[in-house]
Amino acid sequence: MNIIGPELLIFGVDDVQACRQFALDYGLTASGDNRFVALDGTGIEVYAADDESLAAPLSTGSAIRKTVYGVKSQADIDAIKAELSKDREVTTLDDGSIEAFDDLGFLLGFMITQRKSLELEAEKVNAPGAVAQRGVNLTAVNKDDVGVPRSLSHVVYFVPDFPKAEAFYRDRLGFVTTDRFTHVGPFMRPAGTTDHHTLFFIQTPPHMQGIEHFTFHMGGPTDVMTAGTNMVNKGYQSFWGPGRHIFGSNWFWYFKSPFGCNMEFDADMDLHDDSWTAREAPPGADNSQVFLLQYREKWAPMGPPPPGAGGKPREAP
Amino acid sequence: MPDGIMLCALDELSNGALGFDPFNDGRDTVFAVFRNGEVYAYSDVCPHYGDTSLPWKKNAYLDSRGEHIVCAAHGALFTIDEGYCVSGPCRGESLTPVPVTVKNNTVWLITSPTGENKK
Repeated sequence: MNIIGPELLIFGVDDVQACRQFALDYGLTASGDNRFVALDGTGIEVYAADDESLAAPLSTGSAIRKTVYGVKSQADIDAIKAELSKDREVTTLDDGSIEAFDDLGFLLGFMITQRKSLELEAEKVNAPGAVAQRGVNLTAVNKDDVGVPRSLSHVVYFVPDFPKAEAFYRDRLGFVTTDRFTHVGPFMRPAGTTDHHTLFFIQTPPHMQGIEHFTFHMGGPTDVMTAGTNMVNKGYQSFWGPGRHIFGSNWFWYFKSPFGCNMEFDADMDLHDDSWTAREAPPGADNSQVFLLQYREKWAPMGPPPPGAGGKPREAP
Repeated sequence: MPDGIMLCALDELSNGALGFDPFNDGRDTVFAVFRNGEVYAYSDVCPHYGDTSLPWKKNAYLDSRGEHIVCAAHGALFTIDEGYCVSGPCRGESLTPVPVTVKNNTVWLITSPTGENKK
């Protein structure tokens, strides 16, 4: 199953106008009334929480109403439908996409990807001992530069039973665990991408189930800094960052948002293939950030697993 | 002797909530909400982490209907009159109240004799 990664995240929110403005200031582009997209066309859709076109929310009231994955071809759609139809209802929508619930109650969609292939350069760096990436007389920064989100990167869920979640995405959808935090959850990538993760689970009590954050890939660390600085200058409040993660190596900067979750900028994530062996580390500041320019002691909320849920799955790497 | 630290004129609270920096921390550490003739004030710290401020932008402490205090990090909802979390990660926990009083149409943070309001 060539699932590439998240294509669209669909939200039902309390304050639509605030979310629209936030999305624009974050650097996304409006595409129709409800959709806001990155340069490759992946993005988010924003509706009022009581919009009748949306599926019912999780009992926790989390604003995430649907996570839509892009796949390579109709054959992938057919394969996913065949697999999930074994034990649940799979609905084919008018646009040809399919939808079904995962084992934790998150609504998923699968569509043939419409993302544009981008032909852009990554941030270039010069260093003694290395061939110059950026040639003479080429300046790296401009005071007015603001990084633009390039592609929807990953989504993170609070889940009451991460082994159950991990098993579903691994066994039913072909995701691979690239790394994990002990007793917290796995970082996972689908088969159609080499990104370190497009999905991460955080074990929490059941009343927290929902979206923890989502993020878009930027062109490099400087883009993360300029986009984040632009947010600060517009009055938005940082939650965590800027800094650089260890698992995935991605640069990060998180902002609180009117979406009821954090919204991140990330850049320069590690790439992995099937020859990679997943690492495991205890959670905490020491293992979640190489450095942080504004230090935070706690990096993610956690809670005990429900009875019978703890530990990684037997089959897990 | 002053009654405490002046936060704002009562009129300024009429549209909802405001954040304040009464101890000169360089960021808002206290916020106040006017509701049903009363002023309620709390430390601007979500009990979920214990070190995160609530709003996604300055003064954005309430939901769109003005019914609940919101923490924008993960959407926790708190009652305005008690600061009690009714939904979200810190459900069952409470914001830390800050004593305030209204005199001459001015909202004052009461400076406690024991110094618990002070840094």
